[in-house]
Amino acid sequence: MILGEFEYLMLTAAARLGDEAYGAAIRQEIEDATSSPCSIGALYTTLDRLERKGLIKTWMGEPTPERGGRPKRMVRVTAKGVDAASSFYSAVRRVSRGVAWAKS
Amino acid sequence: MGKVMIQTGWWLADVVSQLLEPHERDAVRGDLAECGAGEWRALREVLGLVARRQAACWMDWRPWLAVIAIVLPIGLMLSHASRWWADDAVYTTLQYRLFDLSRLVQLGWRSDLFLPMWAAVTCGVSLAGWSWASGYVLASLSQRAVWVTVALFALVVFLGTLGTTTIVRAHSAAFAEHFFAVVFPRLIRVGLVLLPAIWGVHSYRHASLSRLTLSMSAVALLLLTVLTATFLEGSMTLGRGFFPSPLEIGADRLGATADDLRPLWPISLVMLWPTASILITTLWRRAPLSSSRS
Repeated sequence: MILGEFEYLMLTAAARLGDEAYGAAIRQEIEDATSSPCSIGALYTTLDRLERKGLIKTWMGEPTPERGGRPKRMVRVTAKGVDAASSFYSAVRRVSRGVAWAKS
Repeated sequence: MGKVMIQTGWWLADVVSQLLEPHERDAVRGDLAECGAGEWRALREVLGLVARRQAACWMDWRPWLAVIAIVLPIGLMLSHASRWWADDAVYTTLQYRLFDLSRLVQLGWRSDLFLPMWAAVTCGVSLAGWSWASGYVLASLSQRAVWVTVALFALVVFLGTLGTTTIVRAHSAAFAEHFFAVVFPRLIRVGLVLLPAIWGVHSYRHASLSRLTLSMSAVALLLLTVLTATFLEGSMTLGRGFFPSPLEIGADRLGATADDLRPLWPISLVMLWPTASILITTLWRRAPLSSSRS
């Protein structure tokens, strides 16, 4: 399955965060990694798309005080999601072989 | 002042977030609270998500069907009907001011008093009923795009008769008053069209009515429509040249006789389709349940 670049970023951020993967944390990871703002609109519509493709599973977590008593949308990458992200990464590495910016 | 601004921004973000699904709304508000977003950034973020969600809804054919089948035809008809009802009600009420109550002992005068009153009440109830049924079907077709289609529906209802006038306005000086000319028709549209339509949306989304109540309401509305068909047809021309209904004189060359034709009679059928749709879907949904139980 071919992923979009933003989908790959989200899967990778969610996998890195593990049990702590939820909307705001994934967004922070992506902003830190890309140094670009990530809108909530892009985040949540992509989460839905990834879930429809079976690449992640989401559920509502417990409410916490720092969130004004509101729950988190927790995220877990599925085995299919791991395969898709891995394939995407391999493709990027293969296609990048020999180009100037991939030498480091 | 600053605090008021902050509250305004968050209040607006909260209002806009009502267009999101409840679980998503909570998660988004929580994310915004956690990252310490300012009020206007929060509003921008929520607006961005709502815009994406709404755009996704319109990729489906059903909201478009709601616009083509309900918003445009029924909205326009309700615009005409509410405008005609408002002006006719003002005209009738003003006639009562001149009514000599001592004449009520005569049967003919009683009819003159009570029949228009009965007609006004029946038509008002029909108007609210048609609007409720339209809101109900609009919600069932539009799903998550419902508030956009309701806004479009309201726009058509309020602007549908822009630049027109009714026949009774030429016969009463009362319409020179701003209240009767402008405010009252708007109040009628809010009270007898918009609010019942929103109630219809609410009834569908919260499944607040039983199948029996839905079926009975639909049947009652069908009967009311039959009773008020001439009013509805008359409202399409805003009463100009015809009363109570646009007629074509029949073979006897005499007006208001049994063989007169009513060229606008299909209007009632168009107005009936949301009601018929409610009735059919309610009965249809019942069938599989009955068979699965047996």
